[in-house]
Amino acid sequence: MAEFMKKQGAGMYFNALAAILGVVGLIAAIICSNMTVTYRLGNMGQIAMLAIGGVVLCIAAICLPNYFGNRDIAGTVAVLGAIAVYAFAFGAVLSERILLIAGLFSYDSVNTVGWQVFSVTVVSIAAFLIGDIALIIGAFTKSVKEVTAE
Amino acid sequence: MKKTGIWRGLAAVMTFVLSVSVIVGSTLESFSSTIDTALGTQSEMMVTDDQDAVYDKFTPPAELLNADGTGNSNALIQAAIDLNREQAAEGTVLLKNNGVLPLAEGSAVSLFGIRSQVPILGSSFGVKACGGFINLDEALSKNQTDFANHITTSLSQNWATGEVERGYTTDGWSGDEFAFDGAGFTVNPVMTSIYTKLNETYLHTENAGPSEEYDPGEPSVAEIAAVNADYKDSFATYGDAAIVVIGRPSAESEDYLPGGIVDGLGAEEPLALTDNERDAIALAKECSDQVIVLVNSASAVEIGELKDDADIDAILWIGAPGCYGMLGVADILSGKVSPSGGLADIFATYNMSAPAMQNMGNYSYANADSVITRENSGNYIIEAEGIYVGYRYYETRYYDALLGQGNATGTAGTYASNGAWDYDAEVAYGFGYGLSYTTFDMAYEGEPVISVSKDGDVTTATATFNVKVTNTGDVAGKKSVQIYGQAPYTAGGVEKSAIQLLNYGKTGLLQPGESEVVSVEVDLQYIATYDNTYDNGDGTYGTYILDPGTYYFAFGNGAHDALNNICALQQIDGASIIGDADASYAFATEITEDLIGKTAFSVSKTGVKVSNQLDYADWNYFQDGEVTYLSRADWEGTYPKSYTDMTLTSQELIDYLNGNYYTIATDEDTSDIVWGEDGDLMFYEMAGLDYDDEKWEELLSEMTLEEAQYLATFGGPSIPGAESIGTVETYMTENAGNGVAVNLNASKDTEAPWNISSDDPNGNWHPEVFGSSPLTAASFNPDLCKELGEFIGIESLFTGIPILWGPGLNTHRHAYNGRNGEYYSEDPILSGYTAMEFAIGALEYGLIAAPKHYAFNDQETNRSGVAPFMTEQRAREVELRAYQIAFEATKYDTEETDAGMKGLMVSFSKIGPVECTVSTGLMTEILKNEWGFRGYAVTDIYDDFDLYGAVLTSGATCYDTRGMSGFYTDTTLDSPRFANQTDGSVISANVFAGDANAQAAVRESAHNVLYAIASSNLMNRYNATTHVVKLNTWWRSTYYAAIGCSAALTALFAVLYVLSKRKEKEAA
Repeated sequence: MAEFMKKQGAGMYFNALAAILGVVGLIAAIICSNMTVTYRLGNMGQIAMLAIGGVVLCIAAICLPNYFGNRDIAGTVAVLGAIAVYAFAFGAVLSERILLIAGLFSYDSVNTVGWQVFSVTVVSIAAFLIGDIALIIGAFTKSVKEVTAE
Repeated sequence: MKKTGIWRGLAAVMTFVLSVSVIVGSTLESFSSTIDTALGTQSEMMVTDDQDAVYDKFTPPAELLNADGTGNSNALIQAAIDLNREQAAEGTVLLKNNGVLPLAEGSAVSLFGIRSQVPILGSSFGVKACGGFINLDEALSKNQTDFANHITTSLSQNWATGEVERGYTTDGWSGDEFAFDGAGFTVNPVMTSIYTKLNETYLHTENAGPSEEYDPGEPSVAEIAAVNADYKDSFATYGDAAIVVIGRPSAESEDYLPGGIVDGLGAEEPLALTDNERDAIALAKECSDQVIVLVNSASAVEIGELKDDADIDAILWIGAPGCYGMLGVADILSGKVSPSGGLADIFATYNMSAPAMQNMGNYSYANADSVITRENSGNYIIEAEGIYVGYRYYETRYYDALLGQGNATGTAGTYASNGAWDYDAEVAYGFGYGLSYTTFDMAYEGEPVISVSKDGDVTTATATFNVKVTNTGDVAGKKSVQIYGQAPYTAGGVEKSAIQLLNYGKTGLLQPGESEVVSVEVDLQYIATYDNTYDNGDGTYGTYILDPGTYYFAFGNGAHDALNNICALQQIDGASIIGDADASYAFATEITEDLIGKTAFSVSKTGVKVSNQLDYADWNYFQDGEVTYLSRADWEGTYPKSYTDMTLTSQELIDYLNGNYYTIATDEDTSDIVWGEDGDLMFYEMAGLDYDDEKWEELLSEMTLEEAQYLATFGGPSIPGAESIGTVETYMTENAGNGVAVNLNASKDTEAPWNISSDDPNGNWHPEVFGSSPLTAASFNPDLCKELGEFIGIESLFTGIPILWGPGLNTHRHAYNGRNGEYYSEDPILSGYTAMEFAIGALEYGLIAAPKHYAFNDQETNRSGVAPFMTEQRAREVELRAYQIAFEATKYDTEETDAGMKGLMVSFSKIGPVECTVSTGLMTEILKNEWGFRGYAVTDIYDDFDLYGAVLTSGATCYDTRGMSGFYTDTTLDSPRFANQTDGSVISANVFAGDANAQAAVRESAHNVLYAIASSNLMNRYNATTHVVKLNTWWRSTYYAAIGCSAALTALFAVLYVLSKRKEKEAA
């Protein structure tokens, strides 16, 4: 393991961070979906599939360069796929919460339960969004230190 | 960094941008109607190819059109200015006048109080006053509007910085300015400039709201002096009169709360005067020996101390007068108009003395956490005051005190009395009270005429009072004729108010010496009492009863005066009567069983037997004996306590609160309900047809269940089309009671010949300009109320909105309801007739007024689902009566036409533990069956999304789904935006496939919605060639471009990455 870690470049850490954030985003989505019956996420299944898919792609983006070298095509596809999937994950959460958010910032500003749900929703959306940013930064960097002689 | 890495990174960036663009685009499309309204864009247009037989059913008046038939924006705005001025002048109530008013011509006056510069014209949230306005100093001293520099403001939070900022309600004004004849005074510029300067930090706005910890934000004398130490030097020049403005706002979503005022202001309650306000009045006294106070509030401010202050010469209540209403106030101050308004609410010395105040605010069940599983079901209020709301409490207790009955002079509920309860101490100004600059003689012109007729089981009984009003003073004026009644009361029997308004009328402008006979017809069903214990003998309980006995009627300057007149006729000891009393103003008549049977009104005007429908409204129905309702049999013993921490023990009660109302059936035979039949009948052919016209069955049979369900699911603002009957998705509904909330140049009816073009200089005029609802009610002028409805109907033609979510029609249960500015009055008769006139007026121009919030929205605190518990008598006689009057609208019924309001919005609140939206008793039995309502009955925004089956089978016709649009494309019946269902069902186009009751309800809802629309000005646009054309918008183009560009760049960088990678490999 130590040997494996020694080989890893900055890109791997960004991808790993993205994978962790995907899990955080998913857990936050599950929590905000289960805070009340009223605000249960109707598309939780879709969100879960997107989040899990994104995490799997992040893991693939971590692993594949160790086999195929830095910036390999398969790893790149995984990164791009993860970015898209995370984006659609936060889009799915947002679309479910947009009426709640609109209400909280207008006619329903005193909905304390709604604000609690909103705050956890923000965590979920932020996690997916920051995960995407981590993936983008990672895409510019090397995932492994030695793949080709430079 | 190698190029491969750069291309890879850039491809990642563009993948992200592409994904986000797709998501943003999809989200924008889902909410396109709201986006369009916010941005002034148009995504689709209703087009009628054949221009024959369109725009011929409802048209604006010719004087508001140019010669070529296009709209004349200048004339429209001028008409709005004139009408708002009239509204304010007629609604303003003169409460006190030591002879100082009207002010002399050319007076030089000083204005005090920061609200003199930043008056409350509308609400911070809800009914706003929008656009250019005329300030008090302008109305007093100028002759020309300055809209370019005077645009109403409102506060909002900058979510980026967290700062509260003041913002304008419209983006500037470069349109016309308007000449007006002001009061002709000069106004102290020193004081106005000081307050203007102070407001740079105070951040007051013309659209303001209450709060739980309120601070009126009146600057101190020291702050005034800090701006200009020599300000008192100006007093000598502008000391003809000193006018002080005291303001208290009202708005949606926030209440005042008992004790809810910031510490250190010198006031115990939010509607009491603060030290700084008293100091402003003291400054006014220094400035002039003629001090006038303007109460700028829709709520009853505690001004008892001003009434008793000999140095306060005059007090005017001006409500929230709207954008141009200060002209009307100036008319009163200058004497161009003699005041003729009467208070729409009683002004108690201390508002807390109202029995309702013992139970308002934030109450939660003690065991809510352990037994309540449904959202927004943990709060309640016990309306233990029973029927004794507003003046009914104070006047009835006063009457019982006079008679020495019911322990009325006990100490319970005393706040201002010194010992025993004392009306004179507890009440500052009574309901309906108002002074004038002239005097009137009033006398019955002949005996009141009682008329009784029967049509089958339906009894119609009226009493017509002809009152001759003669102007005996020196100036012209109008006079309201308020007819009150008293039904015989037996101690310990069914609760009855000692006095209640029954109807009213108003003279025209009477010149000195001129007379007019005002005929006021009273529907005697409104003096009947609802006895919810009455045994109907058929297994049901509860109905309206008219006890045989002596009935008293009187006119007077408000409820108290009328009651005194009755007392005089009853020869009650004159020495103990507080105020004047004249027996000749009262009238007594015996109503025997032979004349009108005791249960004559137990059958509604629709022929339906009336019985209890809201048993569950009463807490004691579930947990007997836990609540004591106020009874005049023992004022002392039953004056309400505060019911805090109520514990739920009844499983039935808990089940209701948890939303267990209706389970959607899956296996019923629905073959009797016809859907999808072939037919040629189209919706445009239904214009103006009666609800019972047989063509409706034919039309409804052509619809598919899915189409009908779409109509019921998405009730506005965009309402879906139904291809089978030739309707198209249309943006149809908007707020609010004081004008249609759509800019003049953003009409939803883009084909109308009278449209205001986008480049019209007055195009960004926003029609929400009129004053608060209590101001309208206080006019006691049915004609003015109708005229307001007509004007807003005209606005609807110019803005293309056939259904208005307004006016507000709930009861002012107490002074602390934040929404009082949107509702008319504490009295259901005044509210009901005002709303009826408004609705009938609006209908003349094809606007369906949908009053809100049906019903029981008695406070804004916990408004999303709060459970108000009350007796059914209270529900019917106080809360529901206003709606009943507006819906029955018997005044306008003819042999051919059953007139009435054709729309409503249902309340967020419950009735007892049952959501109003799912209460079949409320929505079907009372509303439709007893009152004969036919029309559009929409929920409030997103309300009860988890009770789909229950809501759509109760009688509610549709959901308010503001924001959603694009039906059959982005927004579908499988929309996950509806909450998970309490009954476990899943919303889909098939959810009612096996539920015959639900299918029948959805069909009836479609009938009601389509019937309302067919009566509206939407029918201006329909014929066989009507269809929708999709339009592009800049925001749509933007996201299309973003998707296109980011997709291209993603592909480009991906290719460059692959090529670079290949080169890399080759190099290796």
